[in-house]
Order: sequence, then C-alpha cells, then structure tokens
Amino acid sequence: MMAVAQERPPPTRRVGGQFLAGAGGRLLPASVPLRWFAAAAVFHALAWLALAAGASQWPGWRGGPGWPLAALHLVTVGTLVSSAIGASLQLLPVATRQPVRGPRLAALLWWLYVPGAALLALGMGLAQPAWMVAGAALVLPVLGIWGLLLALNLRGARGMPGVVLHGWGAAASLLVLMGSAAALVALWNGTPLLPRDDARALHAAAGVIGVMGLLVLGLSSILLPLFALAPVPDEGAQLRSGATVCVALLLMALAAFAPAGSDAAQVLRWTALLAAAWALATHVRAMRRSWAEGLRSDLGRSGRLFRIGWGGAALAISFTAIGLVRGHDGADLPWGPLAVLAALGGWLLSILFGVLQRILPFLASLHAARRAGRRPPTPSALTAEGPLRVHEAAHLAALVLLAAALVNRSPAWLLAAAALGFVGALAFVGFVGVLALRLHRAARRSATDA
Amino acid sequence: MTGRDAIGARVWRESDATTHIDVRGLPPPQPLIQILQLVQRMGDGAVVIVHHDRDPVWLYPELAQIGWWADVVDGDPGEVRLRLARSTP
Repeated sequence: MMAVAQERPPPTRRVGGQFLAGAGGRLLPASVPLRWFAAAAVFHALAWLALAAGASQWPGWRGGPGWPLAALHLVTVGTLVSSAIGASLQLLPVATRQPVRGPRLAALLWWLYVPGAALLALGMGLAQPAWMVAGAALVLPVLGIWGLLLALNLRGARGMPGVVLHGWGAAASLLVLMGSAAALVALWNGTPLLPRDDARALHAAAGVIGVMGLLVLGLSSILLPLFALAPVPDEGAQLRSGATVCVALLLMALAAFAPAGSDAAQVLRWTALLAAAWALATHVRAMRRSWAEGLRSDLGRSGRLFRIGWGGAALAISFTAIGLVRGHDGADLPWGPLAVLAALGGWLLSILFGVLQRILPFLASLHAARRAGRRPPTPSALTAEGPLRVHEAAHLAALVLLAAALVNRSPAWLLAAAALGFVGALAFVGFVGVLALRLHRAARRSATDA
Repeated sequence: MTGRDAIGARVWRESDATTHIDVRGLPPPQPLIQILQLVQRMGDGAVVIVHHDRDPVWLYPELAQIGWWADVVDGDPGEVRLRLARSTP
C-alpha cells in the first residue's frame, strides 16, 4: 500500500466519484430516482391492503370501480409506472450517453404523480367518479410529460438500437394507454367515448404489454448485463423480439375493435399470442446467453427473480391461450384473472423487485461517491439483506396463494394472500428505508470528514 | 507489453510499472467489463491507468465493492483518464 502511495503522481482531483461532476449531466440528484422507487415500494404495500379490502368483491368482479380495480391500479400506476419513470429518467440517459433533461421537472413530476395516483386509486376503491377524474387529471399530464422526455431521450440516443426500439414502442403504447384511460374515466362519469370492452382491452394491452412489458424487456437488456458484467445481448435478437411485441400489440388493438366472438377477433388474438410467445422466447434466449458469458454469473436473489419473472410471462401467455380455447365458461377456471396475475405479479413485479434490490444500492453508492475525500459505502454495505429475504419468500408465497384463491374463488384465501403480500411489501419498504438511512449517515460522515 | 483482446480494449505496461487500458470507442458495458476483468487480475500495489472517452459512472460502485479507488488525472483533450489503485484501509 505504501509503495502505491509513493508511486502516486499528484492527481488533479482527489475523488471517489467527485469525478461524477463530469457525469453530472447524466445523473439526477439522488433524491429524484430514489423518491420514485420509494413511492413504488409504498404503493406496492397499499395494493395488498386494497386487495384485502376488496376480498369479498373479487369472486364476482367483472371490472369497474371497486377495491379490486384500486388494487390493480396501485400495482400498475403506483408500483410499476412509478418505477419505470424513476428508472427511465435516470438509467436511459446514462445508457444512451445523453444529459438528463429537466432535473427540476423530474422532481416536480413526482409531487403531481404520487398524490394523483393515490387519489385515482382511492376514487376507484370508493367508487367516486369525481375523485377518479381528479386523480386522472394529475396522473395523465405527468405521463404525457414523461412520454415526451422519453421520446427526446430516444431521439438523441447513440447506439443500443434494440433498447431504443423497445423505448419507442413503449412511448407509442403510452399514448394508447392515456387515451384509453381517459375514455374509461369519461365512461364512468357518464360520457362514453369508446365502447367499454374496447377501451378495457386497449387499456390492458397497452399498459401491461405495451408500456410496462416493453420497458421491462428493453431495460433488462441494459440492466442484466450491467449486473452480470456481461456482453450486451445480441442486438438482432433484441430488435426481432421488440418488433414482434409491437406487432402483437397492433394485433391486440385490432382485435379489441373486431366484433366480439367473431372469427376475425379470434384469429387476431391467436396471432398476437403466438407472436408474443415467440418474442418472449427470443428475448429470454438472448438474455440467458449474455448472462452465461458474464463475469458475475450468480446474481443470487435478483437472478432468481429474473428467472421467476420469465416463468411468469410464459404462464401468462399459456393461461391466455387456454382461456381462448375454453371460452367464457363460468364453471371453468378463471383463466383471464390467472393470466393477469401471472403477468403483473409473476412477470413484471418479480423482475421489478429483482432490479430494484440491485439498482437502488448501486445508485445510492454512486451518489455517495460524489462526496469527495473518503471511500464511498459499497452497494453491499447499503443493502439490508434480512428484509429482502423476507420479501422474496412472502412475494412468492403470496402469488401462489392468490392463484389458489382465484381458482377456489375464496375470499378467505385471498385475505391470507393479501396478508402475506403485505408483509413482503413492508419488508421491501424496510429495505428502502434502511438504504436511505445508511446513505444519509454516509453523507453526514462525509460532511464531518470534510 | 501491449495487446488488444478480442473485444478491442488495448492493454499495455509502461516503464513506471503502471498498466494501461484504453477502452475508448467500446460500446457499453464493455469498458466496465474490460476494466474490472483487468483490475481483478492485478496484484497488490498495482496501479491501472484507464483511458476512456466518457465518465464511467457505473464503474465506481463496482470498484468500491472490490476495494479499489479512482482518481481523475490529466488526460488528452476529450479523454477521461483515471488512475485506479487499491483503497487504503
């Protein structure tokens, strides 16, 4: 060590990330992305509470306002989209080698979006159309601005054509999602702009597969190699997979407007489903190949959640296919709700939590390193392992129990699933809280040392 | 000693016993991978000079995790030059 110190030429700047000043244009203040991720964790806990509040409504629920709808939107609008906004605002500029645009705007959006999402969910739960309008009036403009920031970033992107294609698909889907959301809120307020079933079908496809699905697929191509220190997945495979998902989305949109039960609608749905299955297989094959070549092949809990997520996506496609074959037979298993559970809980949430538990300590360490003069806390020193262990076990158990509750149409099982899920969600909130506390302490120590 | 591995990073050793790696022009995350691969092969007391075309923001937490530290040193115009060494305890 002494030898190193003697050899050391006088550095121009002593840094542990102060050199991040050079990357300052690509980094938001730590509080901005961390606030979005913290909101996502809290909304996740609230989603399980809403699920419990609507336990008696679930067996007969066929859409429309109520706690089941609130629970769904706390997961989608609250957890998934909040995380997507935080991740895309911070990670895309770094990946596409561009400055972040409007850091103050990114901070302001949080203050509009989070209360708006909460109000929207509360309005849904309590079946208060006026509250839904007020919530949507906050959420939709934020989504529009986020879409614009996303588009500006993608327009100036250098390289990463696969990620960029997924991003454009998500941005286009966001427009459809916002339009169909506005149509649904208008419908519940007595002004039908689109037929209910058409608007719902568009909304579900654009939200789950279009916005969230494409972002998860695209960002995975950046994040998994980063975690595993692996080469970028094959660009050709990324492009083929992303383009096929976009085609599947287009077919789903056409199917939404085809006459219900018609042969045309069935053909469109089957073609879309097969395209989605092929796209998923292509994506997973490329990701696994890249992962296998990484310096760090064992990603532990995070890696398991990625694999579970891919399994969830495959199950969602399978359940949808079975539902298409069996039709709407009330005596049959609820294939539609099971597909939604597999897609939202199994696929999107599993991968999201796999990502968040790695990226949060990483981002925190990176920002802590901006304070010069001392060694920054390492990502592992910022990670509370205990809460993550609890979260993983509770997340998986809750999903299995929830599937059983849907199959048995049992409010009691559903309550048990909600209780387990809530415990897991609280554990994840605890992980975020401990990380924030450790980051704060590191900042105070740096200030004292300085 | 000089050489370029399959992915294109140029690695050489100078007479002052520092090892250099030039990752300019490589697509992300190759610079990160190449630098970490090199660093993990280095012994105690080794010093690595990185020649980069941008500030490698993701590198720093990874370095901290394995007990290394980075200083920015003077480089050519348009270059980000880093000096990596093991952290002192």
